[in-house]
Amino acid sequence: MADEVFLKLKGIKKSFGGVHALNGVDLEIRRGEIHCLAGENGCGKSTLIKAISGVHRVDEGEIWIEGKLCNKMNPIDAINKGIQVIYQDFAVFPNLTVAENIALNGEVKNKTKLVNWKEIHRVAAEAMAQVGAEIDPDVKLEQLSVANKQMVAICRAIINDAKFLILDEPTTALTAREVEKLWTVVRALKEKGIAVMIVNHKLDEIYQIADRLTILRNGAYVSSGPIHEYDQARFTRDMTGRDISQEKYLPKASEEEIFRVENLSLPGAFKDVSFSVHKGDVLGLTGLLGSGRGEIGEALFGIEPAQSGHIYLNGQEITIKNVADAIHNKIGYVPEDRLTEGLFMDRSILDNTIATSIRKYFHGIKLDKAAMEEATDRWIREIGVVTPSSKPAVRTLSGGNAQKVVISKWLNTDPKLFILNGPTVGVDVGAKSEIHAILRELAQKGIGIIVISDDLPELLQNCNKIVVMRDGRVAAVVDNSIEQKELSDLLMGRAE
Amino acid sequence: MNKLKTKSLLTSTQMILLYVIVAFCLVVGIRQPAFFSPATVITICRAGIFTMCFALCEMVVLISGGIDVSFPAIGCVAMYVPMYIINRVTPIDSALFAFGLAILIGLLFGLLNGFLVSILRLPPLIATLATSSIASGGVVTLLGTREFTTLPDSLQAIYNTNIITYTAPGTGFTYLLNVLFLVPVLACLGVAWMLRYTMLGRGLYAIGGDKNAARVAGFNVRRLQFFAYTFSGVLTGATAMMYTVLMHSSTTSALMGDEMIVIAACVIGGVRITGGHGGVLGVVLGVVLITLVQNNLNMLGIPTSWQTFVVGLIILLGTIITSWQAKRSSHGKA
Amino acid sequence: MKTTKTTPAVPALKKKGLKPDTHITVLLSMMAFVLLLMAVLKPGSYFTISNLRSMIFQFPEYGVLSFGMMICMIAGGIDLSLVGIMNLSGVAAALIITNMGGTNASIVLGCAVALVVGAICGALNGFIIASLSIPAMLVTLCSLQLYTGLALAITGGPAINNMPDAFKNIANGSIGPIPYVLFIFIAVALGMAFIMNCTVFGNEIYFLGSNARAARYSGINTLRVTVMTHMLSGILGGISGILITSHLNSAKSSNGSTYTLLTLLIIVLGGVHPDGGKGKVMGVTLSVLLLQLIANAFTIMRAPDTFKTFVNGCLLVAALILDVVLEKRAAKKAAKS
Repeated sequence: MADEVFLKLKGIKKSFGGVHALNGVDLEIRRGEIHCLAGENGCGKSTLIKAISGVHRVDEGEIWIEGKLCNKMNPIDAINKGIQVIYQDFAVFPNLTVAENIALNGEVKNKTKLVNWKEIHRVAAEAMAQVGAEIDPDVKLEQLSVANKQMVAICRAIINDAKFLILDEPTTALTAREVEKLWTVVRALKEKGIAVMIVNHKLDEIYQIADRLTILRNGAYVSSGPIHEYDQARFTRDMTGRDISQEKYLPKASEEEIFRVENLSLPGAFKDVSFSVHKGDVLGLTGLLGSGRGEIGEALFGIEPAQSGHIYLNGQEITIKNVADAIHNKIGYVPEDRLTEGLFMDRSILDNTIATSIRKYFHGIKLDKAAMEEATDRWIREIGVVTPSSKPAVRTLSGGNAQKVVISKWLNTDPKLFILNGPTVGVDVGAKSEIHAILRELAQKGIGIIVISDDLPELLQNCNKIVVMRDGRVAAVVDNSIEQKELSDLLMGRAE
Repeated sequence: MNKLKTKSLLTSTQMILLYVIVAFCLVVGIRQPAFFSPATVITICRAGIFTMCFALCEMVVLISGGIDVSFPAIGCVAMYVPMYIINRVTPIDSALFAFGLAILIGLLFGLLNGFLVSILRLPPLIATLATSSIASGGVVTLLGTREFTTLPDSLQAIYNTNIITYTAPGTGFTYLLNVLFLVPVLACLGVAWMLRYTMLGRGLYAIGGDKNAARVAGFNVRRLQFFAYTFSGVLTGATAMMYTVLMHSSTTSALMGDEMIVIAACVIGGVRITGGHGGVLGVVLGVVLITLVQNNLNMLGIPTSWQTFVVGLIILLGTIITSWQAKRSSHGKA
Repeated sequence: MKTTKTTPAVPALKKKGLKPDTHITVLLSMMAFVLLLMAVLKPGSYFTISNLRSMIFQFPEYGVLSFGMMICMIAGGIDLSLVGIMNLSGVAAALIITNMGGTNASIVLGCAVALVVGAICGALNGFIIASLSIPAMLVTLCSLQLYTGLALAITGGPAINNMPDAFKNIANGSIGPIPYVLFIFIAVALGMAFIMNCTVFGNEIYFLGSNARAARYSGINTLRVTVMTHMLSGILGGISGILITSHLNSAKSSNGSTYTLLTLLIIVLGGVHPDGGKGKVMGVTLSVLLLQLIANAFTIMRAPDTFKTFVNGCLLVAALILDVVLEKRAAKKAAKS
């Protein structure tokens, strides 16, 4: 029974306008197993989920569910066959109560006309008991934490006789403790014979939870097998197609200090944070979600400024109370969410590039358009944005190219300190290494670089110094000679 | 836990509104002791009939995530056309005809709004503004601007039917509450039931909360939007004919400008303009507050010409406070 | 990999370059159509100097107002209180001028006060919108009541009439055959074009309307830009207030009640996107002219004013549908390439 196959995919192909999103994917999900789907961004994971859940019709290949060929599913069919997907936004109603969010979909499906509140509360209580969640059923969803919203989404998914649950990157917005709790719930589902597929690319999390693993790369199947067959080296090789790069960033030691923070504190986010960036340094700042890593970046950029502590840039103490202060002091910040925080999607590359530095093109009474174009063209060349000109809207660019535009925007302000939060999230492999090269080059030029990331291989490869945050405090400062396992232990608090 | 719930109950939008209403009554009552009399209750009930009905229309649309600024124009058409036919074309002396035609007109324009918003996906504000000018421009062009002040017998009979007759002992003045007061009462109960106990009602909240999530959950988003605007049109039509009956007047501009007060009553009553929030109880309180203010400013010694301004100020402050409260409540994470 | 991903940029570029042009082409051809139609129907009375002059006397007051609505919508909001600001400014100006005996100095002072009142009203709108993040639609709907109420309170009900001739001349006088108001309109249009295209502020308005969050992360002071945008809109409302008071020789709280709809129609027809971030002064200017041509055509044909309201409503819907269709077609083309 345990080995019975629930879902089998063979040679799945799907393309959009000539681009192969999926190019021959095989996948096998057994009943009651926890299966991880791993791959770098843009490898086709989300397209695959949409194919399984009936959102996309596949071009080629076979989808077998419980021994039946089901190539022509729509989303409703998929749900009726017991397939439930929990996307990253959970698709919950912020304005409705927990109980309603759990039970309403079932009521819609049954085409009931009247609402039976007793029944809704009963269903919700039952679902929450099944996964062991304890949330007040009368609270509105907008008042819940991300982890609890996720619990509600899981509860909602399992009440409709789910046999196969897909979680799309479920841990990205969770703290360490919340992740532990999620795994408990997932294991409970497994006990009930529900197959769970988790999309994830963090190896240590995969080790914690998965029975088996499938890796995709560039829309194609790479390998699959029980989790114990994978070690660090094979995992990285299968994910990226390369062996672990040996060329770690090791700059010449320099005494010249560029940037230093002392005892920086923001109640509720981080406390007594001190570190320094020397010339040539690419400083990594890492930690789990809720450790304060992102908050430090936002504080240094003045979005949510620190309440106490000292900040020194090139030997001078500076104060940062808002974004204008940060920009005045020549601090640049690449935000975590490129699409909503970093870019004006409908505006041209030129507009995006000069968005922050536009004041310097205002000569006399009007903007110097020629100088703006000239600067943009220069950055397109130097950073290597692949585009025919500076006119296209940023919407038309790939993730990597769009990120290069965000970087150009800040380089055009001549920053002295450049903070990048998740600089290579959603960037394909090629552009990723180009961005890394740019950062190294900037560091050599004497610009202080801080990379905030939870991508440990990336940090170890590109940062010569790594500040590890835990529970709002600096847990350790290490160099990049340590192993990824050690670093991850530091992150989780399993080592000092 | 219970303490927490009691506390949030005491600081909910509805309770705050109730405090404000009580405070306002006290202030007016201290200046004018005559305020505390059954006559005031009847006057407020009478004055609030139309605002209440329109507020229900607006609330349903706002909860679904839209906005409707066309109901004054639709209402004017719905009250004018039947009276025009009765007075100028053929004297049909039938309340059923008058109300039926008014409701039909409301229904048609509601369908137009629904079509523009749900099928063509135009921004609701601009779409309903367009409907508004199509309705009022169209009817005036075709039928002109007259004022009809005489009612046919059947409607006059409704006007003469009162459920409460109260004669003030001091002045001997008689206060009447018309039978049509039951319409907003029944409509409130009906809408409250619909919003709470039918999938239709929950669907309106769902699409107002998150359209995509609603689509994924299997709600028919377009049909629900259509319903919201059509409901608004139908109730607007009926209310407009009630206006004609109670005010003995039917013109093409009688209701123009009402949208401000009505939207304000909704927002002050806790309906969020971004959709998905609010309920009948809050809106009733919002309407009561606004009606009280509108009717009693002269009792406070505020000259007539300043009243629009004072009402505007109160609306603006109310909006700011409720928006601020909404922001605070969605920030408190559990 | 890289090349396949970036090729769509080329056709997208062409389309982006062309899109405002298609809009302007549509506007120009509609104008040509109206002119042609009138040339066939009423050649005698439409194409005369006096008719042209009467048209020019009419459109500047709502044309200026349209630019105010335009910048608010480009910034991602809307200003429904513009007509209220216009009337309040007009009343303020009229009050000062009539109370100071209608001297030339009083006229200058009155006009200055009208602009200041407009600026304050607009700034108040912008401040409430940005500092409390309440939707602009709601704030301006409320403040419309507030400003209208204030104008009503100041006048006490009846209109302020009997303005001095020098003041009436602003909107009714002309240099030779050319009305002064034409120069005012042209100056405002050029000024707006300059602000939107050639200044930091103009660019910041576009950034704010495209993505308010990204604007903040790019170091744009969103509070300041929102306040300034609405303040500028208020000043334009003040200019309209002067024009309409001068034109009608009367200031009251209920003038120009159809202008909210009219200005919305004008800017949407002129290619301003209701979601913000897109729109050009050129498109709006042409749209003002087109609407005036149509309105005048109706006047010549002796159609009642209310019929114009009806047609304007229909046109607004048509313009929005046209936008939706164009957008869908563009999206389809993008998907194909």
